[in-house]
Amino acid sequence: MPDNYGFFIAAYVIAGVLIGGYVASLWWRSRR
Amino acid sequence: MTVPAPARAFRAPLFDWFFLLAVAAVGGTLVRILAFTPFEASQGAAQKIYYIHVPAALSAYLALGILAVASVMFLWLRDPRADRLAVSAAEVGLLFTTLVITTGPLWAKPIWGTWWSWDMRLNLTMFLWFLTAAYLVLRGAIDDEAMRARFSAVLGVLAALLIPFIHLSVYLFRTMHPEPIVLQPGRPRLPAEMLTTWSMGVLAFAFLCIALIRARYRLPDGRDA
Repeated sequence: MPDNYGFFIAAYVIAGVLIGGYVASLWWRSRR
Repeated sequence: MTVPAPARAFRAPLFDWFFLLAVAAVGGTLVRILAFTPFEASQGAAQKIYYIHVPAALSAYLALGILAVASVMFLWLRDPRADRLAVSAAEVGLLFTTLVITTGPLWAKPIWGTWWSWDMRLNLTMFLWFLTAAYLVLRGAIDDEAMRARFSAVLGVLAALLIPFIHLSVYLFRTMHPEPIVLQPGRPRLPAEMLTTWSMGVLAFAFLCIALIRARYRLPDGRDA
């Protein structure tokens, strides 16, 4: 089995950062 | 068109039980991907990117489909709520399209040997990303609310027209991109354990997509640009 854990981890980390970033932007914009 | 700001004493919370349910579904799917789904023999760990890449693509279709329907509803009824739903769906659609277009190359590099190939599935997805970004840029550039809603509704419908071409591109053109393994005529070509994980991913991301559109829709008025 090929050793490509780095790509797997990078994809999940980037997905988490993108989704988390958007949620944070919603929270930020909801503050008056 | 003037849009009266609703005088609401109570404002619905952005993040409610539905949002928590979506987060729990995504969390549960993540646990299953990491701990309870076997590695694919020839592709190794990189194959597990599939469990977020495809659900993200389907969620992008969902969000941008909502954008198209809301845009048509706006052009028909001129209801500002439809415009508000459209911009909410566009933002979330851009988020999921960004997820697709970043997780894809991270799979392609170890499997194809290249980050990107200029084939139709990838190109059309990139165009969809540009069109969705253009939709949001256009909204930011027009101050008049009625004009902004009307112009952007037309662009919203045009952007979503790409979706069927993206989905069918692997059949219509010579392409490196894999054809659908589950969403195709005939039985899913995926072992049961992987199919369950994939299905959970699709459902969890669809929940998250709707929860995010709801939350964006509930943002206080006056910030729709």
